[in-house]
Amino acid sequence: PAVARINNGSFGCCPSSVLSAQNQLQLQWLRQPDNFYFNQLQPKIIQSRTIIKDIINADHVDEVSIVDNATTAAAIVLQQIAWGFAEGKFCRGDAAVMLHYAYGAVKKSVEAYVTRAGGYVIEVPLPFPVSSVDEIVKEFRQALRRGKQNGRKVRLAVIDHVTSMPTVVIPVKELVTICREEGVDQVFVDAAHGIGCVDVDMKQIGADFYTSNLHKWFFCPPSVAFLYCKKSTNNSDLHHPVVSHEYGNGLAIESAWIGTRDYSSYLVVPKVLEFINRFEGGIEGIKKRNHEYVVEMGQMLVKAWGTRLGCPPEMCSSMVMVGLPACLGISSDHDALELRTCLRDKFGVEVPIYYRPPKDGEEGGVVTGYARISYQVYNKVEDYYKFRDAINQLVDNAFTCASLPIS
Amino acid sequence: MQHDDPRNGESTHRSSKKPKISSQFITESDIRDEFSHHHPRVARINNGSFGSCPGSVLAAQRHWQLQFLRQPDAFYFNSLRDGITASRKIIKDLINADHVDEVSLVDNATTAAAIVLQRIGRSFAEGKFQKNDTVLMLHCAYEAVKKSIQAYVTRAGGSVIEVRLPFPVNSEEEIISELKKSIDEGKSNGRRIRLAIIDHITSMPSVVIPVKELVRICRAEGIEQVFVDAAHAIGSVKVDVKEVGADFYVSNLHKWFFCPPSVAFLYCNKSTKSSDLHHPVVSHEYGNGLPIESSWTGTRDYSSQLVVPAVLEFVNRFEGGIEEIMKRNHDQVVKMGKMLVESWGTNLGSPPEMSAAMIMVGLPSRLCLNSEKDALKLRSHLRDCYEVEVPIFHQVPKDGEEGVRDKDGFITGYVRISHQVYNTVEDYEKLRDAINQLVEDGKTCKMLFKE
Repeated sequence: PAVARINNGSFGCCPSSVLSAQNQLQLQWLRQPDNFYFNQLQPKIIQSRTIIKDIINADHVDEVSIVDNATTAAAIVLQQIAWGFAEGKFCRGDAAVMLHYAYGAVKKSVEAYVTRAGGYVIEVPLPFPVSSVDEIVKEFRQALRRGKQNGRKVRLAVIDHVTSMPTVVIPVKELVTICREEGVDQVFVDAAHGIGCVDVDMKQIGADFYTSNLHKWFFCPPSVAFLYCKKSTNNSDLHHPVVSHEYGNGLAIESAWIGTRDYSSYLVVPKVLEFINRFEGGIEGIKKRNHEYVVEMGQMLVKAWGTRLGCPPEMCSSMVMVGLPACLGISSDHDALELRTCLRDKFGVEVPIYYRPPKDGEEGGVVTGYARISYQVYNKVEDYYKFRDAINQLVDNAFTCASLPIS
Repeated sequence: MQHDDPRNGESTHRSSKKPKISSQFITESDIRDEFSHHHPRVARINNGSFGSCPGSVLAAQRHWQLQFLRQPDAFYFNSLRDGITASRKIIKDLINADHVDEVSLVDNATTAAAIVLQRIGRSFAEGKFQKNDTVLMLHCAYEAVKKSIQAYVTRAGGSVIEVRLPFPVNSEEEIISELKKSIDEGKSNGRRIRLAIIDHITSMPSVVIPVKELVRICRAEGIEQVFVDAAHAIGSVKVDVKEVGADFYVSNLHKWFFCPPSVAFLYCNKSTKSSDLHHPVVSHEYGNGLPIESSWTGTRDYSSQLVVPAVLEFVNRFEGGIEEIMKRNHDQVVKMGKMLVESWGTNLGSPPEMSAAMIMVGLPSRLCLNSEKDALKLRSHLRDCYEVEVPIFHQVPKDGEEGVRDKDGFITGYVRISHQVYNTVEDYEKLRDAINQLVEDGKTCKMLFKE
């Protein structure tokens, strides 16, 4: 209770009514696991998948698989690319394109499955702070051109819907369209922060693969995500890397049994929908209000600190990057982590900090640190005042990151 | 009843010989309490499939879960890694591994198989192995493992040899001789056997395999690597990875070691060149070694990996600890098996010394169990109409071989009965009476409907 929890983005949250429902499911399994396995598990997973299909406007429930998290979904999509190289469907040097701000795990997954298999990886540099979607579109087009040089084919584009650090809402629909125009084989949208945070409409976005965590902004317990795979001949060869006796029965069925596990988080989706519909406007209402409040809080903070937001309000979701006073002297990733720890331990504020290196030619006094503040239904204005005051106090005490112990 | 509060992130581990504070060992009544969440009327004689977890360990698990939910960032940065390391250290001691770096925690044996086989597949794809080099496995290997071989080995161009094990089995020599035959076949035409996958305790039908001897033979015959799939082992037979001598050894902790679903350990012998082993779900920890990669595969509920200390406390409440539990389970399951054999006029699927806490018991031939479908039907019928939970195996009669008979015909079906600390004699009597009732009523499997 004493923590100002303004980091819903990292690990999400789950209301106690859903936790109770999850606990009930766990007890059902423990009580008589064989019966649960034979008679309950599969129908309940299908129920969750059906609800998700409707929310995301997918055509068919077969297109919706439930997996542990976006990290797992990335491994599924990328392993398929690795096979493409191994089996000679792709030529060595064919390219995969991803954003420079792609999530760390996804970058490693690309290394493990694409680079290792002989693919060539192109990172799209994105400006930050960013002022308009045009800046992003421009960089993306250029990167695709590079990808196609020397007769290479771009086999996969990995596009974040909402980047993690720094957080910005990417114009995915437009980027997917560009990918199609430029002949990219497959497009994978990593929307870890998508559902419950931005609009998630599969048909509108038009990607081949789309994944989003349900435990971040959709009130599910840790952890559960969906991976949408558009029905097409292009991607019938997707497999869960943990192979069970269901191998070959389609990704959705494979993912519904990956050995003995606690699947309860996959099964509470109906209960979560109940919770969400207790709010005025349902999930749409929640999204809208979260966005409005986080922008309001962000603007309150930049006013108090004399800094700036990392992007215009229309390019943020329920998270926004807020510049920290330059005098704090954040000059490395290490500084950012240490400041975060200091805020947690000394001020009871939980918020992730991003180090933004100064670019050549930028003058002194430039903002090098940004806090990623989140707003979820449990937050209150006092959380952000606490953060505001903590930073103000550090500034008043002439604190700099240089004074932090070197670990 | 003790509620074990797990220590929050401390890295001290407890040795398996804990000094007793009170002289009070766990009583029958305590055991009933600990498993009071089990369905009271079901004769649950299938611990082998999904395992079991006592109430005090579940409470410890809930405590870890609530800690994460309360302040996930602090948990992630300050508690999670140390908690997992504490569990790994305990396992390392239990299994007699040299170094905690050899011990990774994963979800289950199915995941461990994917880890080992993905690497084999990559070696084929990258040309380190020749096309048609072989992987050797037992014919009755777990279905998930067989599919994993298909997904990662066959697909990449490797070939597969299956060792046909006799069943019913009468002696370890029968198994050893079949293995030798298959190894010869695997090496024919200049092929190399790159990996042998050997079960420590097969699943269906369940038999304890002489792994130490088989691993020795594999080494002697030049098989590059040996992977022991010991899903059922820890908590049901002695597990000494140095003695067994395999490159990789996996066992589920949620089957016979009282952990909640689900957690397993994968042991990788340090002297094996296993630096290229990776968890297929790649996180930012990629490249930091399998134990570290496996300790973070994205946001998950890792609580089942964190309760190993609480499980050790539970196990040490039994006089004689896990050794005594194993012995008692074995003695009881053999006793119950013999009781059923006598009542039904059938046979055991293996001699007692080739069983652990599970044993195969022949079903009366009059039930006419002639297919997998029959086996499943009978199992459902026993669950729905008699409240008995027990898995059933269909024994396909071998061409030209004389099967085992009872007074009415060939025995083609076996139940796999388990014994764990919560079982009572009444559970097995319930099964005995149910089968006798069906036979008396002249029922065959074909006649059973799913009610």
